[in-house]
Formats: sequence, C-alpha cells, structure tokens
Amino acid sequence: MLYVAKDKAATEPGDKRPSTAESRFADLLEANLERLYGYCVRLTGDPHDAEDLVQETLLRAVRARSALRDPGRTKAWLFTIATNRWKDLGRARGREVTTTPLDVVDEDDRFSLFQTIAIEDPFPYSDELHLDFLRLFRDEDVQAIFATITPAFRAPLILTIIHGFACKEAAAVLDIPVGTLLSRLHRGRKQLERGLWDYAVRNSLITIAGEDEP
Amino acid sequence: MIDCTEAVRRMWAYLEHALEPRPTEEFEAHLETCQRCCGELEFSQRMREMVAQRSATPEVPDHLRARLEELLRGASVRPENKA
Repeated sequence: MLYVAKDKAATEPGDKRPSTAESRFADLLEANLERLYGYCVRLTGDPHDAEDLVQETLLRAVRARSALRDPGRTKAWLFTIATNRWKDLGRARGREVTTTPLDVVDEDDRFSLFQTIAIEDPFPYSDELHLDFLRLFRDEDVQAIFATITPAFRAPLILTIIHGFACKEAAAVLDIPVGTLLSRLHRGRKQLERGLWDYAVRNSLITIAGEDEP
Repeated sequence: MIDCTEAVRRMWAYLEHALEPRPTEEFEAHLETCQRCCGELEFSQRMREMVAQRSATPEVPDHLRARLEELLRGASVRPENKA
C-alpha cells in the first residue's frame, strides 16, 4: 500500500514512523508543486499552457519516479522534465524554442538601460534615479515584460534570477553547455533591459522630455 | 585590460559567480578604474533583485493539486510488483 499526502500525520516533523519510498516521493512532488507551477507559468507566458505543462510534467514524473535517485534534486529533476516537454511542444507548434537565430547580433546588445536612464533622466529631482526607475514595476508588469523575451533567452533568466539555480545547474536543466547558458543569459538580460525601458515608456510609467517632438 | 563593452558583457556572469578566474581578475581590475561600470554593476544587481521580488509564485489552481493527488493515487493502486 502506498500512502499519499492525505495522511498529513505521516509527514509531520518528528514523526518516527517509517515511510515508504512512494510516500516520500509524493511528499517531494507536493513540496515542489508551487515552484513547478511558477516555473511553467513564466516559461510558457500563458496560464493555460502552464497548467497543461504542469500536468504533463507530473504525469511523466510519476511514471518515471524510479529515475529520481537523489531526492535533493527533485526541483531540478521536475524542471528538466518540464523544460523538455516545453521544447517538444514548441517544436510541435512550429515554434522552435532552442534554435531561434541565437548567433545574430541584435540591436538589444547595444542597448544599455543603465545609460539610457542616466541620459533620458526620467526623474529630474531624484537622488536615486536608477533605483526609482526599478521601483516603478509591479508583479504584473514584470510578468508581461518576461513574456516578450525570446523563449530561449527567457528560460536562463527564469532559472537563475527567479529560481536561484547556479549557472551549471541551469545549463543542465536546459541541456546546453555552460558557455551557451552564459551567452543566452546575457542576451536575455539585454532583452529584459530593453523590455523594462520600452514598457515604462509605452505605459506612461515615465515621461521622456521631447518624446513628442518631431 | 578590458574595455567597458567587454566589462558589461561579463557583468551578469560575474554576478552569477560563473566567470573563470582570469576573466574575473580582468573584470575586477577594470572596476577599479571605472566608476561607470561600478555603477552599472550595482544597478544590475538591484535589477535582478527587483525581478526576483516581483516574481512571486502564483497560487496553484485547486484542480492542479487535485490532479496531482489523482496521479499519485493512480500510481499507488497499481503497484508494479503486485499481482
């Protein structure tokens, strides 16, 4: 018999009763469900797609549970399954998420948010110009901006900044070399910088002097 | 000696502690002489913190939790080693 999380007493700290590998596995999945859902929401940029992705990930995880050898790596294991499935879905929809033109030098690489804020000076009376700019954004703004970032560059940002993966772990989850991860992280950062600025201007969070002049 | 363009390129890898020792030395040597890049490094760190803080984990819909329980129950009632 396999006990799942319904039996809360079995998971209380200090409980000395032996638990089966299956009940531990159930606890691990439940403990990581929120993180997995958060990751999928940000990865797909769409709550409905995220729910589908979580369900598929859980199904695969349950089926392949014997493959989880180190319980301490449950989060990375689940994220890897989700990432692989997300790539499959991208391919199936004709939206390849890993072979977007990654080697092309884009305009965003020349964009510096730090410098743009200093030059455009959106808060003329501020002593903390750059920090005031960062204070403009709410959760939904950041989520909207993330959704505009190229998926292949978005994933490294999500894993490292939001979910606290070290670059080496993030590279393993995405199944790419660390060098590629770092390069995509840089590209993602530049798109994030550009995204923050464009969003602030477009949504009138800031007013730029001379913006409407010919 | 690296220039500002290269320093900016290495900045996030530095913040991630993912730069090799030699590039790290070159980056830190650049910072010692460049106030602008020191400012951008601090700004980069604050921007990363802001993004993390503004990315609260969304609440898991009840039906997803129910689906997980269903999957786990399904797995438990069909143990592979039981006739």
